[in-house]
Amino acid sequence: MRKTTLLVLTIFVLSVWGTGYAADFRKASLLPQWVPQAQFAGYMVALRKGFYRDAGIDLTLLRGGPENPPFKKLAGGEATFCTGWLSNGIQERASGTPVVNIAQIIRRSALMLVARKSSGILQPQDLNSKKVGLWAEHFYLAPAVFFKKFDLTVQIIPNHTSVFLFLRGGVDATAAMWYNEYHTILNSGLDQDELTVFFLKDYGIKFPEDGLYCLEQTFKEDPEFCRRFVDASLRGWLYAVEHEEEALDIVMKCAEDAHTGTNRAHQRWMLRRMRDLITPEGGPSSLGKLDPAAYDAVGKMLVDFSYIDRVPKFEDFSRGAR
Amino acid sequence: MKEWLYNSIAAKMTLLVLGGSFFVLSAVLSYSYYYSRGIILAETELAAKNLTLSVAGRIEQEFRALEKLPKGVAQYLECNPGDKSTLTKFVQRVVSDNGEIFGSAVAFEPDAFEKGIKAYCPYYFKGPKGLRFEQLTNPSYNYFCKDWYHIPKVLKAPGWSEPYFDEGGADIIMCTYSVPFFEMTERRDQVRGVVTADISLEWLTKLLSSLDVTHGGFCFIISDTGIFVTNPRPELIMRESMFSLAEERNDPQLRTVGKAMLRNDSGFVEIGPSLTGRNAFLAYARIPSPGWSLAAVFPRDEIFAEVQRLYVATILLAVVGVAMLLGVSILVARSMAQPLRAMVVAAGRVAQGELEIDLSHIRSRDEIGRLAAAFTSMTAGLKERDRIRDTFGRYLTKEVVNKLLESKDGLKLGGEGREITMIMSDLRGFTALTSNMTPEEVISFLNRYLGKMVEILVEYHGIVDEIIGDGILAFFGAPEPLEDHPARGVACALKMQAGMEEINALHEAEGLPRLEMSVAVNTGHVVVGNIGSEKRAKYGAVGSEVNFTGRMESFAVGGQVLVSARTYERLKDILDVRNVLHVEMKGVSGKVALYDVRGIRGPYNVAVPDRSDSLVPLKEKIPVAIHRVDKKIVTGAQKIAWFVEASSVSGKLAVPEELRRWEDLRIVLLDAEQHPTGGELYAKVVSVEATAEGSLATVRFTSVSTAAAKALKEAMDLGSRRGRP
Repeated sequence: MRKTTLLVLTIFVLSVWGTGYAADFRKASLLPQWVPQAQFAGYMVALRKGFYRDAGIDLTLLRGGPENPPFKKLAGGEATFCTGWLSNGIQERASGTPVVNIAQIIRRSALMLVARKSSGILQPQDLNSKKVGLWAEHFYLAPAVFFKKFDLTVQIIPNHTSVFLFLRGGVDATAAMWYNEYHTILNSGLDQDELTVFFLKDYGIKFPEDGLYCLEQTFKEDPEFCRRFVDASLRGWLYAVEHEEEALDIVMKCAEDAHTGTNRAHQRWMLRRMRDLITPEGGPSSLGKLDPAAYDAVGKMLVDFSYIDRVPKFEDFSRGAR
Repeated sequence: MKEWLYNSIAAKMTLLVLGGSFFVLSAVLSYSYYYSRGIILAETELAAKNLTLSVAGRIEQEFRALEKLPKGVAQYLECNPGDKSTLTKFVQRVVSDNGEIFGSAVAFEPDAFEKGIKAYCPYYFKGPKGLRFEQLTNPSYNYFCKDWYHIPKVLKAPGWSEPYFDEGGADIIMCTYSVPFFEMTERRDQVRGVVTADISLEWLTKLLSSLDVTHGGFCFIISDTGIFVTNPRPELIMRESMFSLAEERNDPQLRTVGKAMLRNDSGFVEIGPSLTGRNAFLAYARIPSPGWSLAAVFPRDEIFAEVQRLYVATILLAVVGVAMLLGVSILVARSMAQPLRAMVVAAGRVAQGELEIDLSHIRSRDEIGRLAAAFTSMTAGLKERDRIRDTFGRYLTKEVVNKLLESKDGLKLGGEGREITMIMSDLRGFTALTSNMTPEEVISFLNRYLGKMVEILVEYHGIVDEIIGDGILAFFGAPEPLEDHPARGVACALKMQAGMEEINALHEAEGLPRLEMSVAVNTGHVVVGNIGSEKRAKYGAVGSEVNFTGRMESFAVGGQVLVSARTYERLKDILDVRNVLHVEMKGVSGKVALYDVRGIRGPYNVAVPDRSDSLVPLKEKIPVAIHRVDKKIVTGAQKIAWFVEASSVSGKLAVPEELRRWEDLRIVLLDAEQHPTGGELYAKVVSVEATAEGSLATVRFTSVSTAAAKALKEAMDLGSRRGRP
């Protein structure tokens, strides 16, 4: 008699707990703006460590890449969340796609221009009339501001996926992400002291990069859900930078699955640079916050380069913690 | 342990042998080890360089051959705009007719193939089910962005792409050679498109794995950015580079090697364990066409395995050899140490004064044997020295013996001027007396006399210069300087006279004749030192003063101590002088004063008893025969004379002829019939009075035979009884 009661009670508790859990559990997907690498370590770690699950989110991490433009996918409803540069986000918003920024992960520019010292480039002025390899679209913005600042006329050679054009001597200088291509250059046998490096952020160019976005509708329907997603993502980032080896194991697994042909040394570099980029001045409390001044600067830049006509209102755009 | 080491010659030798052989062996072994390693390394380097150069050359040839095909297509397209079907067929033939080529494409710039066609790229490749065609113009594959298209276009030069993983067709790692071709203009500056040839890197991997590098060694290729194109560890291919490994393993040297491989044509370097898990040597050679580098890795321990084995064997042999050497050296050291220890014990005993050392058990004839022999002969020498010391000790004071034996310069010949006091003594009438004695009697007689005298001399720190028969020459004040040598000399002389009484008492008890000793004491400047030759030398004194002393002595009579004026001057306050003689001496002008001393006061305080010397007139004259004695030889015919007066030590002779003062006489007592009675005596003439019948000579007896003494005593007793009722 007592045994039966206990069994029934157990089944009841389990089923209530189970259904209760399932009731809060919401499916969602995240599309990073590029192929799996440590640039997205925080999300990979949060997923693998169950931080999203802890937040009641059944997340699917979609594979990013050139064939998956994140905002397009977001607008098309193929992804609940995406990552993207602030400038892209602003442009999307200005052009009518109702996206909102729910967190600003990389709060400054990781973009840099790299040149061989042997090509005679030692200071910004030396870039005048040189061939500079630049990626298209938004990657072009900050370097263009830089050239304008120093009144440089450079011969821009479109750069696509790799730095091999630079390594083969096709260009005198190339744009590179600090956390990615710069290390590729270093690990192609060029030493730091053989290179001249211009960090755009060092020249007063405010250009926050990776942020988390969703459609305004998603946010309006369930701001709490969006907040939980952001918190779990930030928790993932904090865990990743504090548990480097574990995070790298996770990142490497994702990279292997995507055949990106990377190596651990490269991902370690990238993770460490992400650590430098996401925890900037102001300490952990400012993690994920979008700076209105930087927003204005990027907006102005987009207007100046005729990407947009008008800068959307900050309040409409930024729905994350401020 | 430390004690043992310091104290044992065996331990030292063993240690020395061990240390020495260890040192030599390790030096030889190290040299041979490093030398043979050097040879092997040089051979390996040569072989490795040859291998990498030949393999790189072969790969280069393959690449060059491959390059010709897309170049041909490009040349064709620079001369001919190309229509769709010809171009497609051409590309198809390139792929189908060339086994090495995996795929080939001709990609055009927008509007370059035909106006309005923004992208045109026929592509043939070897799919899993045979040759496949594809237009690479789908939106998800924007070939304008691909390195294989973009880089040669920008560079306007053909080139090999980095190896990449092709997801499109066969999921293989491949590499693309791209040749840009230009619009048909004179300037050749407008790129019209790019012709490509893809190769699978599988054949490279196969080629390299077929190479037998050496046990445990392997070959690999890196691209011009250091990425592994081939490697026996497939997980490294395309993912890792020399630089990423260097970074992950924190091995800056590997980075340096990677850079060298990209920048130099060929080389040979030593690398750490980052690449293979073991230390290794790496030879590399450039494959110029793609700018890649081929490397061959030789694990270090494999290369040196033979040397290592040889070395281990050599070390084992060396250890066995050293152990044997050690055994032998212990034996040798012990055989050396044992006799040495015996000698240490012996030397200790010698130090204790025990000279009876037996080292006969040390039979070796080497240095140790000779040392033992030398040691034995040294103890013999010491015994001899002791014997000499004992012997000398009788005649010389300790000081002289010590000076002679112990001082380094003690035995040097040569002398020094010194003022000393010398004494010369002589037994009166001894020579004549000995003529009637057996040699044994003479020796025992002399020994007793000399023994006593030397004892006294030593007591006064006198040095016996010479003993000739019964005569003694001794001095004071050398070699040890004595402030009071005159006093010592005089005191010693008096003591010697006193000692004579003892001797005479013994002699009389044995029925031997009574002896009288005369002593002269003189002080003067002489030369003292070792006199003689190297073979035979003595510590003695020479000079006119010595001779003078001898002459003085000849004026002395038995029982007398004659002191020269110089000695007397020093001591006159403490000397007890009985009489002063003024004598003429040969070689000395004027009279010489000689002091007949009977005692000395002061610290030495010696006196000889004044012997009764009053002459008694004899009632019956005693006839005697007298013989003149000159230089201790009895000469001249015997003369008859008579004792008219006598005492125990002197007498008055009536002689029919002239006698000279200081003449020595042998006097034989005669009976009434003028036959010798057996009694005889020796005497010195001390004064002469001329008489009508001849002369009346006072003589002082120097030696009186027992019979003579008895006869004289009887005559004196008779005379005195008569004379003194």
